Amino acid sequence: MDILLFRAALSLYLVSCLGYLSSLFARRVLVAKYAGWGLLAALVVHTLAFGARCLATHQNPLVNIYAALSFFAWVLAAVYLVFQVRTKTRVLGVLVAPAVVILMMAASAGLGGAVALPPILRGHLVSVHVVLAVIGEACLALVGLAGAMYLLQDRLIRKKRATRLLRLLPPLEDLDRINHLGLLCGFPLLTLGVIAGALWARTVWGTHWPGDPKLVWTLLAWALYGLLLHQRLALGWKGRRMAIGALTAIGFLLAALAATGLFFQSVHTFG
Amino acid sequence: MHLVLIGMNHRTAPLDIRERLSLSCGEEGRPLAELLAIPGVDEAFYLNTCNRVEVLVGTGTPDAALAGLRDFVLRHGNLSGEMLERCLYLYRDEAAVRHLFRVTASLDSLVMGEPQILGQVKDAYRSSAEANAAGAILNRVLHHAFRTAKRVRTETAIAANAVSVSFAAVELAKKIFGDLRGKTGLLVGAGEMSELAARHLLGQGVGRIVIANRTLARAQEMASALDGEAVGFERLPECLEAADIVIASTGSPGYVVTAEMVGRALHRRRNRLLFLVDIAVPRDVEPAAARIDNVYLYNIDDLQGIVDANLAQRREEARKAEGIIDAEVANYLEWFNTLEVVPTIVSLREKVDAILEGELERSHAWMQHMREEDRENIGILVHAVVNKILHDPITGLKEESQDHAARPYVAALRRLFHLES
Repeated sequence: MDILLFRAALSLYLVSCLGYLSSLFARRVLVAKYAGWGLLAALVVHTLAFGARCLATHQNPLVNIYAALSFFAWVLAAVYLVFQVRTKTRVLGVLVAPAVVILMMAASAGLGGAVALPPILRGHLVSVHVVLAVIGEACLALVGLAGAMYLLQDRLIRKKRATRLLRLLPPLEDLDRINHLGLLCGFPLLTLGVIAGALWARTVWGTHWPGDPKLVWTLLAWALYGLLLHQRLALGWKGRRMAIGALTAIGFLLAALAATGLFFQSVHTFG
Repeated sequence: MHLVLIGMNHRTAPLDIRERLSLSCGEEGRPLAELLAIPGVDEAFYLNTCNRVEVLVGTGTPDAALAGLRDFVLRHGNLSGEMLERCLYLYRDEAAVRHLFRVTASLDSLVMGEPQILGQVKDAYRSSAEANAAGAILNRVLHHAFRTAKRVRTETAIAANAVSVSFAAVELAKKIFGDLRGKTGLLVGAGEMSELAARHLLGQGVGRIVIANRTLARAQEMASALDGEAVGFERLPECLEAADIVIASTGSPGYVVTAEMVGRALHRRRNRLLFLVDIAVPRDVEPAAARIDNVYLYNIDDLQGIVDANLAQRREEARKAEGIIDAEVANYLEWFNTLEVVPTIVSLREKVDAILEGELERSHAWMQHMREEDRENIGILVHAVVNKILHDPITGLKEESQDHAARPYVAALRRLFHLES
């Protein structure tokens, strides 16, 4: 049942993604609107898939890296929808929806695989750590995407030619608002996620900071986000500089992801 | 039935002649009554905007109607015959339909793609309908014109993007700020251009307008017209701090807004985005200001460049629109042309049906002995035979009507079948 629902959610994400992409070419707001509804439908079905999984296995569904990817896709879509409603900017969906589809496809590789977690990773604190970190990172991923769009739109306006791309991209202030909101939500969540992880590490390994490449990159990114949030709130940084900062920081977060997934053995390699 | 259109527009007639004609024709209802009184005119439509006067009539006798229409224009425009020839255009049937479709779709407008004309044509049609001047032909052609205009609007980008400098500035402001509600506009210099731009900004919901001018009295004058605030030049730095959109248009020979002023203001406004529009020649804003982060500076040439590009795009889109017009005119004519043969087809059918019913009636007596079911079957059979026989001539007639070649066939059919004319 949960597999069926997962597949249905993936198809709906795909439909929504195609909708967002075709809204670029059709120049119709209506298409993007439908794509938004499609995304919401996909999200609901995806939620049901998680629920079904819980009922079937009677345990936290986040058992492996695939489930975590699926959860990340779910959070990204949910956070994006909240932002879409708040900022009334649909163009970001053109980047978010494909990202969600790619995450879901990666997640479908480990569909239904019930891996028994190593005992070391069992416990409520681990779930708290994962959930907080993933939601926070989804917010910050949106901040990064908005930053990329901001820099592009800034360049286009400075070039002083009215191109189609310029009309397509959202207004600068809307993108900057996403930066503001995303940092305000994402940074505290990431902070709490890191703290939860550190507390858990203490009980398992006896130290708060097991020497782990993912942790190093994440802490670098975390420090940069902290700095950015401070500059924004205290010094009134806005616009281009914040966009550049957000892009740099998301680079660190991606490096953290690559560090676990691809190159190193670490405590974050699981599943 | 024929369509005849007669009119003058901004290209064919100077303003004073158009003015005279439209004034003399008077308000909407009056010319319609007068037009319907012209011999041969069955239906009438009268359109009067600041760029054109158009009369479209449905008539059975186009030549007579045309003479009457010329007389109507001559009388109201107080024109000599020679002037009339020069200012007036005249279209019949297909050409009239095409002209009407192009006008309604704003392809014939002074500013191609401007949106008002569709509403004006709709209003004129309403007057026609209210005066009972619009019959089957005009109803059909005007509704088709509205549909065509809508197709052109949705399928081409002819009405997209600004084609005036002040609208281009407003569009850019929207790309920077999104919603302009609650933003503050600052006019540096109280000129005519800046007043126009300010009105556009207010139309977009800008919350507050501040006018800074060297002579305070002039600023105050404009402030009361725009419901804004007036300040002297010495307060310019603090105004820059509060403003989001600045429109500079002074006659000053040097820079009124320096890069250093902008830099300091930006710092105090905590880096909120600032859009500077410099429409003055020589320039008012020091170009170096454009290099500051979060400051966007456009001068008159930049804006003109965008307007030119948009105009070129509209011309490009107009080509697409002409294709749509062609298709819709053909579509309309298909219906219009069959009108010619419709009465003949109707009388042919009526005659044949009358014969059929009469014969069935007469055969009633000797069919008495048959079963009810058989009698019904005979009825069905006879109808089927008649329909089969009539099918080819009727479709043939409709097809011929598309090339205006139906007339001899109509005549022959009427004669052979003794259809009353």
